[in-house]
Amino acid sequence: MDNIRIQTVCGFGCGSSLFLRMKMEEVLKENNVEATVFCGDVGTCLSQPCDAIFISEELLSRIEGRAKITVVPIKNFMDKNEVATKTMEFVNNFNKK
Amino acid sequence: MITKKNILANVKAEDWSAAIRIVGGLLEEAGSITPHYTEAMITAVKEMGPYMVILPNFALAHAAPSREVLKNDFALITLEEPVYFGSPNDPVYIILAICSTDGKSHMDSLAKIATILMQENMIAKLIKADSVEEILEIFASDISE
Repeated sequence: MDNIRIQTVCGFGCGSSLFLRMKMEEVLKENNVEATVFCGDVGTCLSQPCDAIFISEELLSRIEGRAKITVVPIKNFMDKNEVATKTMEFVNNFNKK
Repeated sequence: MITKKNILANVKAEDWSAAIRIVGGLLEEAGSITPHYTEAMITAVKEMGPYMVILPNFALAHAAPSREVLKNDFALITLEEPVYFGSPNDPVYIILAICSTDGKSHMDSLAKIATILMQENMIAKLIKADSVEEILEIFASDISE
């Protein structure tokens, strides 16, 4: 399986994106998915190579329509159900390609 | 991770920006930031919206790494009366302020803090804490586990 690269994005790439990254890593581990998750900021996230961007819904409008990769908005970074559902949906679709 | 002098329990704040000024003030007193960084944290909420209220009742205040940050640090306040950011996770009782010189070197410490905060009932415990000592105990007891 290819190693998926997922970028978690917040305003500056050094605060809440880390919380989301940790939540996603927890989900990926539980589902035995190998993936690299790293933090990014909304200003530069589009220039970082990755397979998907997971971003706060409130910041989505700042990059919407400009990304060539999958962009997944997250309402609540800490809602494990939401993070798990959206993460696994992306992973499963990615692996079908 | 968070030093005693960087914590205040049950403080009074008129609104969210006043609360950020209080927690930013702790970092200023610690010599970790200039007052410009505190203002930048307030501007960040205004410009990017209240997404920084990342957990129910909990806001993570920070601005971009810059020359206004003199060293990596954290400060935490709990509020006597909550403030409102206009977030679905309102009302906010706890604010953690972060400052980082480069946006990376503080990540390990923040990950430790995040691990603690994401434990069940942790936010409720912090809201109930009446003193700085109690807050320190909450952080200390859960690190050793």
